[in-house]
Amino acid sequence: MLHAEAHHGPPIANQSSRVNASILGMLLFIASEIMLFGAFFTAYFFVRVVNGIEWPQPPFELPVFVAGVNTAILVTSSFTMHWALQSVKRGNRAGLQAGLLLTFLMGLVFLLTQAREYSRVGFAPHDGAFGTIFYCLTGLHGAHVAVGLSILLFMTIRAFRGHFSAEHHHGVEIGGIYWHFVDVMWIVVYSTIYLL
Amino acid sequence: MTSIAEREQHPVHHGPPRPPGGLRRLLYPGFLRAAWMAPLFFGIGCGIVVLCRWWGGWHPIWFGEIIVLVGALTAAPIGFLAGIGAFDYWVRYAIGSPTQPEDHSGHGAYSWKDYFRVNTDHKVIGMQYLATTILFFLAGGLLAMLVRAELAKPGMQFFDNQTYNGLFSVHASLMIFLFVIPAFAGLANFVVPLMLGAPDMAFPRLNALSFWLLPIAGIMMLSSFAAPGGAFAAGWTGYAPLSVHQPMGTIFFNMGVQWAGASSIMTALNFLVTIITMRAPGMTFWRMPLLVWANFTTSLLVVIATPFIAGSQFFVMFDKVMHTHFFDVAGGGYPLGYQHIFWFYSHPAVYIMMLPGFGIASEVISVFSRKPIFGYRLMALSLMAILVLGFSVWAHHMFVSGMAPWLRVPMMITTLMIAVPTGIKVFSWLATIWEGKINFSTPMLWAVGFVSMFVIGGLSGVYLGAVPIDIHTSDTYFIVAHIHYVLFGGSLFTIFAGIYYWFPKMTGRQYNEKLGKLHFWLTFVGFNLTFFPMHLIGTQGMPRRVSDYAPQFATWNLFISVASFSLGASTIVFLYNMITSMRRGAPAESNPWRALTLEWQVTSPPPIFNFDEIPQVVGNPYEYGVPGARHAILSGDRAATEAEVRSH
Repeated sequence: MLHAEAHHGPPIANQSSRVNASILGMLLFIASEIMLFGAFFTAYFFVRVVNGIEWPQPPFELPVFVAGVNTAILVTSSFTMHWALQSVKRGNRAGLQAGLLLTFLMGLVFLLTQAREYSRVGFAPHDGAFGTIFYCLTGLHGAHVAVGLSILLFMTIRAFRGHFSAEHHHGVEIGGIYWHFVDVMWIVVYSTIYLL
Repeated sequence: MTSIAEREQHPVHHGPPRPPGGLRRLLYPGFLRAAWMAPLFFGIGCGIVVLCRWWGGWHPIWFGEIIVLVGALTAAPIGFLAGIGAFDYWVRYAIGSPTQPEDHSGHGAYSWKDYFRVNTDHKVIGMQYLATTILFFLAGGLLAMLVRAELAKPGMQFFDNQTYNGLFSVHASLMIFLFVIPAFAGLANFVVPLMLGAPDMAFPRLNALSFWLLPIAGIMMLSSFAAPGGAFAAGWTGYAPLSVHQPMGTIFFNMGVQWAGASSIMTALNFLVTIITMRAPGMTFWRMPLLVWANFTTSLLVVIATPFIAGSQFFVMFDKVMHTHFFDVAGGGYPLGYQHIFWFYSHPAVYIMMLPGFGIASEVISVFSRKPIFGYRLMALSLMAILVLGFSVWAHHMFVSGMAPWLRVPMMITTLMIAVPTGIKVFSWLATIWEGKINFSTPMLWAVGFVSMFVIGGLSGVYLGAVPIDIHTSDTYFIVAHIHYVLFGGSLFTIFAGIYYWFPKMTGRQYNEKLGKLHFWLTFVGFNLTFFPMHLIGTQGMPRRVSDYAPQFATWNLFISVASFSLGASTIVFLYNMITSMRRGAPAESNPWRALTLEWQVTSPPPIFNFDEIPQVVGNPYEYGVPGARHAILSGDRAATEAEVRSH
């Protein structure tokens, strides 16, 4: 075949949309994540609304206050994430590093608090449909926090090794979008499981 | 952004570096590294399970089902992927090493070995997809032959009930999750970037990863035959609570679906981003070929719907392994919930399995009739209409399930409504063929065969959409006939149309036309002889999914079994044609069908980066028979560009 000689690279693709490809990819991924949560919320709907079981099912109780404090921690971490992104956009590396580190630590505190809640809440996933839905929805969210924490960890490592700049910060932006998603999802989970 | 001049200064290295010799080879990405990393990850998975169970005080600490689930079905495949090098770039990125500037070392195929590694070239990935899916198609077909062998006579012949149930369950799962859906993804992988005038997909490494998840899913489903208690046997629908109380094979299905589903979500996301951000200049949405439109809508369906089947399979798995109560009435669960969640994916999934076929049929019918496609915009809009309506019809699979009665009539109405956009498509194809200069080459035969068979399947679908008829024929062979007219006469026929149509482009060689036609006629006749009588015995009440049946159906069943064996044998013609033509076929021209779309404007097979320069799109893709009409302008004049670069 008479083409593709060794010194010829690919032609530069035409950019047919103003949206950045990676950001669009992350948004589409989040759309499918929302649907995954949607499947779990459908199960919640069937158990709680269609079957109409008592919520929380006596004799069990949910630690609404502790989880509320935890919610506040996670919401705050969204603001520090935003601060990190704004810092790198202005070329402020120290702000980026501090913001990412704070976000990571708050996420970790959230996850550890949840693990502690699991060990003290007094019921297990196999204790009736209430336990099932509680553990699976908070567990699904916890798994997403864990993924978000790994992404944050990678971003933090890269930030400390000097990788992002005012011109190149898509890595922070995309990871940040995911973290905000995890945060907003928790607000939905908290209000439906604990508050309602 | 590097300009051509900058690239000239950093010569691009092609192909992967040569693997090192000796023990260092064990660290080089490939099957050798996978051979030790998969067992290592299996061990890590087992270790985590044992540690958690020991720490939580759960006995027994070594619990077979969870070990299989975490170690063999989750950790070991991740180890395999890490071993072949699917994650190498991302790991380097994550630990903060400077990621190498893109050197395209993983791109393209220079020998057959390059098809057996993680390759980022969408054309290589397309071929990998097609070869893999055809293997699973053969496996699924052989299982169908076994099913028909058992059904040739009333009474029990070869298998016990549980094994028989496993055979048809694995047959359906392989055909759906490992053949139809990914075969379309494979064809689109090869063709869509070319049609768009793009050098590759938007995320080449993600593309490579989504391919490598497929063999994992397929082997998982097949290996469930080796699980204690046999293969998963609750049908491909895996209704709970039945599937919860099945032997261990069920979790092979649950996890296989997760891997295949992850693969199709990643591919769909990749297609969407590619189509939105990488179209050639001048390629507006209304100038995109209908195959691209079809994959755009399909990908939207996949991204939105697939998480629901993931959810439904997680629930079954949790109920089975962790003894949760999603579907257990005694614990407050809601058994019908499974069917709602499952069909909320699996009804859109039938469009995921059909819309790309609509796209292929549109390409082929227009080119081989030498006429512009009739009603181009309506063709595209009807795809979108099917996408939207497809989410509102799921409960028509549940008319006899005991669901809320008020749901029946709304679901019936939306189901009948979805025949309207589908009808628009069928009539547009007919109008395209009307008074065309028809060339009945093999791809056209398959496309026309598709239209006629799909109309039969579509019409029986309209019958089934009506509540009274559905109640009468529910769970009979009428359903089996309907699903095969839609998925075999519909999806499979278009997959064959696509394979024959793009064969010259993919391989650079022409297939044997006589054998292609023979393959079509053998399949077409065998298919109708096999599946049409199922309508009859179905309406007479022969139930599906049983290994034994009343003697009154014996004659037809013997007839069907014999016909199905001849149908199975027709595949040999296909394989022979493909293999011999790939090796010794006549060299193909760049545009043997005189088509206008962009993939035919480059050499066969296409250059390693598709285009030397991104083409300029100036018109519609289907202006056949219109004097002077052009779809795109390609400057094939590379020498001039290089001279220009040198002069800088």
